[in-house]
Amino acid sequence: MSRDLSSERDRWITRRALVACSLLASGVLASVPRTGWAGFLETPFFAQQVASSTLPKVDSRLPAEPAVVDTAGRPGGELRMLMANPKDTRMMVVYGYARLVGLTPSLNLAPDILKAIDVEGGRIFTLHLRKGMKWSDGHPFTSEDFRFWFEDVASNRKLSPSGLPVDLVPAGDKPRFEVLDETTVRYSWSRPNPLFLPDIAGPDPLFIYAPAHYLKQFHAKYADQDKLDVLVKQSSVRKWTELYVRHAGMYKNDNPDLPSLQPWVLKTKPPADRFIFERNPYYYRVDKSGNQLPYIDRVIMSLADARLISAKTAAGESDLQARYLSFNDYTFLRQGEDRNHYNVRLWRTGPGSQFALYPNLNVTDAVWRGLVRDVRFRRALSLAVNRHELNQVIYSGLAIEGQNTLLPQSPLYKSAYRQAWAQYDPGEANRLLDVIGLTKRGSDDVRLLPDGRPMEIIIEYSGELPEEPDVLELIRDSWRPIGIKLFGKPAQLTLFRRRVFSGEALMSIDKGIENGLANAASSPWEFAPTTQQQLEWPKWGEHYETKGEAGEAPDLPSAVKLRDLYNQWLATASQAAQRDIWQQMLQIWSDEVYSIGTVGGVLQPVVVNGKLRNVPEKGIYNWDPGAFFGIYKPDQFWFETGQHPKSASSDATATPASP
Amino acid sequence: MSDLTFIPRRPGGGDDAAPVPLPHYVSRAPYDPYAVDAMTAAQQRFYVASQWRMMWWKLRRHHVAVAAGVILLAMYLGIMVCEFVAPYGVDTRNTDFIYAPPQPVHIFYQGRLVAPYVLGYDSHLDMRRLERIYMPDPQKLQPIRFFCRGGEYKFWGLVPGDLHLFCPAAGGQLFLLGTDRLGQDLMSRIIYGARVSLTVGLIGVTVSLTLGIVIGGIAGYYGGWTDILTQRAMEVIQSFPHLPLWMALSAILPVSWSPLLVYFGITLILGMIDWTHLARAVRSKLLALREEDFCTAAVLMGARPARIIGRHLLPSFSSHLIASATLMIPGMILGETALSFLGLGVRPPMTSWGVLLNDAQNINVVVLYPWLLAPVVPVILAVLAFNFLGDGLRDAADPYH
Repeated sequence: MSRDLSSERDRWITRRALVACSLLASGVLASVPRTGWAGFLETPFFAQQVASSTLPKVDSRLPAEPAVVDTAGRPGGELRMLMANPKDTRMMVVYGYARLVGLTPSLNLAPDILKAIDVEGGRIFTLHLRKGMKWSDGHPFTSEDFRFWFEDVASNRKLSPSGLPVDLVPAGDKPRFEVLDETTVRYSWSRPNPLFLPDIAGPDPLFIYAPAHYLKQFHAKYADQDKLDVLVKQSSVRKWTELYVRHAGMYKNDNPDLPSLQPWVLKTKPPADRFIFERNPYYYRVDKSGNQLPYIDRVIMSLADARLISAKTAAGESDLQARYLSFNDYTFLRQGEDRNHYNVRLWRTGPGSQFALYPNLNVTDAVWRGLVRDVRFRRALSLAVNRHELNQVIYSGLAIEGQNTLLPQSPLYKSAYRQAWAQYDPGEANRLLDVIGLTKRGSDDVRLLPDGRPMEIIIEYSGELPEEPDVLELIRDSWRPIGIKLFGKPAQLTLFRRRVFSGEALMSIDKGIENGLANAASSPWEFAPTTQQQLEWPKWGEHYETKGEAGEAPDLPSAVKLRDLYNQWLATASQAAQRDIWQQMLQIWSDEVYSIGTVGGVLQPVVVNGKLRNVPEKGIYNWDPGAFFGIYKPDQFWFETGQHPKSASSDATATPASP
Repeated sequence: MSDLTFIPRRPGGGDDAAPVPLPHYVSRAPYDPYAVDAMTAAQQRFYVASQWRMMWWKLRRHHVAVAAGVILLAMYLGIMVCEFVAPYGVDTRNTDFIYAPPQPVHIFYQGRLVAPYVLGYDSHLDMRRLERIYMPDPQKLQPIRFFCRGGEYKFWGLVPGDLHLFCPAAGGQLFLLGTDRLGQDLMSRIIYGARVSLTVGLIGVTVSLTLGIVIGGIAGYYGGWTDILTQRAMEVIQSFPHLPLWMALSAILPVSWSPLLVYFGITLILGMIDWTHLARAVRSKLLALREEDFCTAAVLMGARPARIIGRHLLPSFSSHLIASATLMIPGMILGETALSFLGLGVRPPMTSWGVLLNDAQNINVVVLYPWLLAPVVPVILAVLAFNFLGDGLRDAADPYH
């Protein structure tokens, strides 16, 4: 399936006609001209409003060329979901996953809101909008919305003090933006920008458009100055920019008045502990029998304490739940299956390693710094981790053991990357440590550092993942035979980060790489020092991020090499070259063991109401790529009425297979 | 009466004559104040019993308190020999027996009374529910061994040994209270956890008793400014909300400290906050007692304050002190449990009841592995026992009761 992607991308880069072909061939989305269509069916939910003429008929609500989806279902119903955080309203933008260009379930990029997109040489992107497409308030969605964002928001010094978003300026190169006509816009760079499409397709996408007709009233350039002043005063903010930002949260999704393109739009004004999202009457997708999507009328999101969500889900209070559930809840959730008529499915997650240890190469302690920069030391630590036991104890043996690198599902995967230095071998680990010269032992058989201190490694963790202390306990026991003592130290998240960034923390444990499913077109930023958030080399990352203004320049040859390879990847448009760079980076990454992976591809329980249809049995539950449910298009999920099907049939299919 | 001498009154005594004593007896025997009410030996033992003896008698009549005392005694004896009592080591993991339910002890085999045995488990992972299923296998009779050689340990971390009170059959298992998520025997962990949880109370109370007596003693004896100052200081300390203060103090314990040091840190923290009540009690008692005649007598004889407080005043209400100290111990045990439950107290790999309960925090445990809630039982038992004992002691120490 991922081979499709590469070939598809190659074709994209050539010419538009081919793109259209490949899209038709992939059979996911196709634009059907309005003429010759039997007619669209009115959604029952809107029937009354249409009858009383408060809402136009479905034919005039849909774009002239709606996206037709090859599926069938029944409109209606309410989807209940549980969330723990009032900020989780943004999850509806993630799940809704209406993007200009989006990922298909097989992780290929395809036009979605856009009718088509032409890419020339990886640097000129021409976006074709759907004619007659409308925002959720009925106002047309046109190139004006793109122009408004580019010229009046992103290029406005007051609204965007740091200028255009970083990914729009590869190597400092600003794009040229042109409006060709009402439905066509073009972005061109002088060099390839491989980050552009993945960014606008992301779960937290780069919105390069905004509802101009609504937001102009908050923008100093368009709004009447006196009116704006009154508004600013009323909302008790200091400047109009704050007022604008407060109303324009397209991702935050906290303003019920903000027009949207998502399948469901927020109807409840925050703060609340129950949010209602209602179907977007102007949504651009229809199914093959002419029903406007989404099938489900309303989404009801209730807030509950995160620790209670598994209990509430098991009591049947959620129709679709994965967030705030963890693998450990699986057995418990299965118990309630028959009683409360839901199915529990296990989807694979995308992180390359659920937990990874990060030796801080920028630690301030000079003796330790020397050691953790010695690749033999890192390899010894990795060899001494008993991943098999960890997998058995915590994940019933269902996770994938190995280094913190790509998962087998990735087209770039090679088993050597994952297996290198990841076999449990305390003997070899001991030998490596002896070779380094750490031969002196103190009390309790603990090795001594060159300056005589005992080798006690304090591993800091933020406690975001409840299993972290258990993992540390297991690793502690497997490190004892090689003469290293381990202590776990929990810290609050911001404090944890600050300590790692400043080099106070020697080692930390956190999630591994996020995108274990990467393909050549995905950015390899996680494998090179590119951001301060990387716990193995925060100062080198900061150096890259700030273009050398802060942090430290990497001085380990392999890390410099990774950074250079990353820069090369950014500058290339050829799929083959990208693939080649990826392989080089993965090879270095796996030789150097910058982070010590444990187990990855952990399974995620997904609870689905027994009557909810079109939710795949097997899937990927991942943030990026994946947008959690997003790539499976929740607008196509629908509720069956009538008798609840006995869950016995689904049991067989939901049984997880041992990897 | 032979030792009484009769001295006759001199006859004809006039004004000019020397005064003649009135007729009287002089006893040469030593003075015996109880001569009038002569007592039998039994009576004597009762009426002239010391204060401590009377307390003991009263306490003995308080059956609940005695029972509580016996339980506590057993518990404290147990924690001295954890390594011997517990069948497994505190950190011994049995990764093949994760979340194994408790094994009941059988003493009948086919209707005959036999030595106690348990049935071994057949286990498999139910892939449908990802649940580890443990079925007792009637073929696997595993007699419990007593005074046996089992897992090796270092007694008190010093003397190596391997003798256990009871252990599983060779090659078998013995999880009387089940196992946890890493396959550690819960019973052994509760026994080891008692070592921390029970001694926290004792050490903490010792700390606060010392502080309370010294500070309360000084305040009560000297009075005046000293009294006012210490009183206000106590009020300030008392006005802090306890739990947040514990949390703040335990959060500053350095992470590199060994769990043992952390444990002492925690006891110190608990003790340092709880002394104010005792100090108050000491002070008010002293205020009253220092006005007593025996105290004035001691002052007049030139005794120094430390001696007066220590020798004359404190013993007069030490029974009362002991009773209130006993009542403080459960508070400390609960304090430690609460802190560890919140993940701020004793840290793994050291084990306390609070640490064990910390593992039982989520809904999965309640529904699927309810035996992990077992550490609640010893907590309740110990707290109740201390409360009953303290109650009995207080009643016994009260002279007006």
